[in-house]
Amino acid sequence: MTGWFPPLPNPARRLIAVVLAFWLALAGGLALARARRVTVGVLMPAPFADATAELVQQFNRDHRSVQIAVSRGPLDTEALSDLAISSLLLGDAPYDLLLMDVTWTPKYAAAGWLEPLEPLLGDQALAGMAPGAQAGNAFAGHLWRLPLLADMGLLYWRTDLMAAPPRTTTELETIARGLQRRGAVSWGYVWQGRQYEGLSCVFLEVLRGFGGQWLQHDAGQAPQPALQSPEAIAAANWLSGLVRQGITPRAVATVSEAEALQIFGAGEAAFMRNWPYAWRELTRPGSAVAGRVGVAPLVAVPGEQAAATQGSWGFSLLKGSRHPREAAEVLRWFTSEAVGRQLAIRYGYTPVWTSLLEDPSLEAALPLLPALRQGLLHAELRPLTPVYAQLSDALQRQLSALLSDDQPAALAMARAQRQSALILQAAGETP
Amino acid sequence: METRRPQAGEADAAMSGLELQRLCRHQAGRALLEDLSLQVAPGEVLALLGPSGCGKTTTLRLLAGLDPVSSGRILLNGREITAEPAGARQVAMVFQSYALYPHLTVVGNLELGLEVRGMPAAQRRDRIAAVIDLLQLQGLELRRPAQLSGGQRQRVALARALLRQPQLMLLDEPMSNLDAQLRDALRPELRQLLRGSGHPAIYVTHDQQEALGLADRIAVLHQGRLQQLGTPHALYHDPANLFVASFLGRPAINLLAAEAGRQLALRPEHLQLVSQGGLPVQLRQREWLGAQQLLWLESSRGPLKLLCGADQTLEEPLEVSWRVDRELWFDASSGERCRLGPL
Amino acid sequence: MSLLLLAPALLLVGVVFLWPLLRYAWLSGHAASVLTGLVPLANGGANWQRLLSDGRFWQDTLQTLRFAGVSLSLELLLGLALALLLHQPLRQRGAVRAAVLLPWALPTTVMALGWRWLLNDPYGPLNRLIQGLGGSPYGFLSTPATTWLFTVLADVWKSTPFVALLLLAGLQTIPPELEEALLLEGAGPLQRLWRLTLPLLAPYLLLAALFRLAQALGVFDLIQVLTGGGPASSTESLGLYAYLNGMRFLDFGYSATVMLGMFLLVLLLTSGLLLLRRGWQGTLR
Repeated sequence: MTGWFPPLPNPARRLIAVVLAFWLALAGGLALARARRVTVGVLMPAPFADATAELVQQFNRDHRSVQIAVSRGPLDTEALSDLAISSLLLGDAPYDLLLMDVTWTPKYAAAGWLEPLEPLLGDQALAGMAPGAQAGNAFAGHLWRLPLLADMGLLYWRTDLMAAPPRTTTELETIARGLQRRGAVSWGYVWQGRQYEGLSCVFLEVLRGFGGQWLQHDAGQAPQPALQSPEAIAAANWLSGLVRQGITPRAVATVSEAEALQIFGAGEAAFMRNWPYAWRELTRPGSAVAGRVGVAPLVAVPGEQAAATQGSWGFSLLKGSRHPREAAEVLRWFTSEAVGRQLAIRYGYTPVWTSLLEDPSLEAALPLLPALRQGLLHAELRPLTPVYAQLSDALQRQLSALLSDDQPAALAMARAQRQSALILQAAGETP
Repeated sequence: METRRPQAGEADAAMSGLELQRLCRHQAGRALLEDLSLQVAPGEVLALLGPSGCGKTTTLRLLAGLDPVSSGRILLNGREITAEPAGARQVAMVFQSYALYPHLTVVGNLELGLEVRGMPAAQRRDRIAAVIDLLQLQGLELRRPAQLSGGQRQRVALARALLRQPQLMLLDEPMSNLDAQLRDALRPELRQLLRGSGHPAIYVTHDQQEALGLADRIAVLHQGRLQQLGTPHALYHDPANLFVASFLGRPAINLLAAEAGRQLALRPEHLQLVSQGGLPVQLRQREWLGAQQLLWLESSRGPLKLLCGADQTLEEPLEVSWRVDRELWFDASSGERCRLGPL
Repeated sequence: MSLLLLAPALLLVGVVFLWPLLRYAWLSGHAASVLTGLVPLANGGANWQRLLSDGRFWQDTLQTLRFAGVSLSLELLLGLALALLLHQPLRQRGAVRAAVLLPWALPTTVMALGWRWLLNDPYGPLNRLIQGLGGSPYGFLSTPATTWLFTVLADVWKSTPFVALLLLAGLQTIPPELEEALLLEGAGPLQRLWRLTLPLLAPYLLLAALFRLAQALGVFDLIQVLTGGGPASSTESLGLYAYLNGMRFLDFGYSATVMLGMFLLVLLLTSGLLLLRRGWQGTLR
């Protein structure tokens, strides 16, 4: 070393040594700090990614050791599920957190893809959320998911065509027929009748409105389908009757959310069943029905309570996450009251926190708040089982036949009952 | 037809054989064939000779009806067929590639044309048997084209054309795909066959050997224009222009340096070696051709080729001479033959 | 030595084709679903037994065969017509050919969304046209008896250009003088087509049929986007059923069984086509 180092006076050598040591320490420290910085990967549909982008940027600025990296997935629920499942099947998940539909939870948990949250977040993680938003996050004794926003079925009605929204099925039919006869609208009531998940959501609401149930939980017994009950047949009959009477267009068998919004948004229907997101589209400047739309709970037969199918989005922690603690921290932040408030004000997302739902100062930004609060009180969860997708598929098939093929309601529901029973039976038998 | 005024030389030829009147073909602003008029008598074989792109295949396609005529008329046995569709002309054609249907057997190839014309099966069988006999195709009946030799394919193509008993036979370089030996063997056969048909035949080739050996008359084409029409003998010995003179004859004709706007051409076999009084030359090369030899000479009037007997001895100094009546004089600028003798 | 030279190709075939097939075969002998936590548990022939008695599988098989048979026939017919048209000397032939190929170049999902809009009831252009002519809108995608025809229509629209291009390539291998020779023999256009062009085009027709048959039997994304299998599952294909079982129900054992059932069907029909060709070539010899 001395031979290579040029001869220098002693003080100079000392100075060089000190400077060198300082730089080494600085570089080492920086490397260490970078090693401790953890990036939490999150997959969510693109619109949610857009809505949370600013807040995420803020989070990344405020936190040095934890950074959030959002991957934008497809908007379509099923397409997102396909993407997530494909990457999960490959093993090493490239994400830590996944924004999931409420119906996926038992399936993903049973597949062993999720990490239980209560060891990381405690038993009280859901406390303070509206009861309707709490449901559907736990399954088989564990908490798998925290909701980002609530979602539920709503009845949209035309304030310029009637004084008050209908409360019963008969009222809805009478008003619709009257308006159609007058030529005020082409159609009375549009809803989702395409053979897909939306049809199950619509039917569940009508079923509850007629006093029926999808699955019957008798104490001490495995749940059984109750689709052949008189209430269920009456509910199915009512839906097909709407089509037969011309209150609902025959085309309903091809209608999903977007098509329903198109018809109602063009001012051609008196009522529409849709999710809260439709409000923003309908009140947007330039909308044909802007200022002429109200929101109400869905209709029921007299003496029964109208229900709203619960359809929320929430975060789950994927098994195999390399930073479960940091991911849980991000999850808690995403689902916090503060973020919920921002998303409600800026994007009209339905909050899950009771404090926000009851906050009068939010009503200016979110005129729907009272209706949403009301809806969440009667939110109806779809069956919480790993074989939900099969149950829903069996029901959709028969309902689609009912609506498009003039299948008698009793026959369609008998078939749905039999197939659902087989699905549940197979699920019970498998070890 | 009746309203048209008869033209010179037309009167007796109008009734039989083939007649082309001022035939033109233009495509995309380019003249492929310009103003071709000629007649072919029944039983006569006319060769269309010329380098590629001279218009000979164009002529054939116009006669067959495969391409439309731009102007002019075609008459076959007194009947105008200029605008008649190809299938109605009673014209048969042997293609350069033979155009045999690859998915059919020899019999299938022969039969298809008769079948589409609706000939009864018994009659078809008889006709095919006759033509198979004529062209000695026995034993090949059930072979596919891919299983035939080049010569066999050519015979099948010929058989297919003859089977139709056409009023005009067109042949597009039918021997260009065959080796030299086979060509020599087939030439007399083909000549006999075409003569015997009693109908005019037009034979397109770029091979002068073939044209000279096979045709009754030859039409030399160059750049879409007829250069000369005549018997092989006339074309060889009495060429109308420099192009015909140099295109015909192998080895090619000698062109001596021009003097006073005229050019002298001499066939190599018309030069003689003499011991004195001739044009002094030096020997550059000797080429043995078996019975003959070809001498490559250098003279003050340019290079010369001389054809003489193989046993001819060469004694220095060499001089060449020729008979004056063998001289062919051409206008150096137009290339046209000068009928006057030497200056 | 020759085996050594073939090794990379064999390896590729093995990895790309054989391995998934073997994996499906293995999976079809197991219960592997959410109910087993995705752990494969051998269950003998239970999946196959279920397949045999699964009315939906057989219904989807018939629907898939119907879809494939009708769209294949139409595509060959229209593809041939289009190829013959494009084979004519046209002005701007290159541009016309590119334009014709456009539907084939379009991603299936985009194309299917386009058709969904076109067939929308009542706002789609087609229904607007019907209404403009004084008719009432037709439920193209909501009538179980006829909706499958419109899935066929969309498939024909997309795939005919592919068939046409393949057949055009075939037409271009036929020397023009063959047709001229037959023309001189007095054959009309239909005779030339039937006696010459079609026999010579047969290998290309067969190739197109093989390609399209295998593709049509495996149809998935077109149906998924256009109808989602509805109404009343009347357009559900085997591919869609396998997808439902795998990706939606997470029942990979049964999904693999459906997939293999579909594969056997493809194998059966394509080898049937190949046998047909052998027989046909035999009669020509």
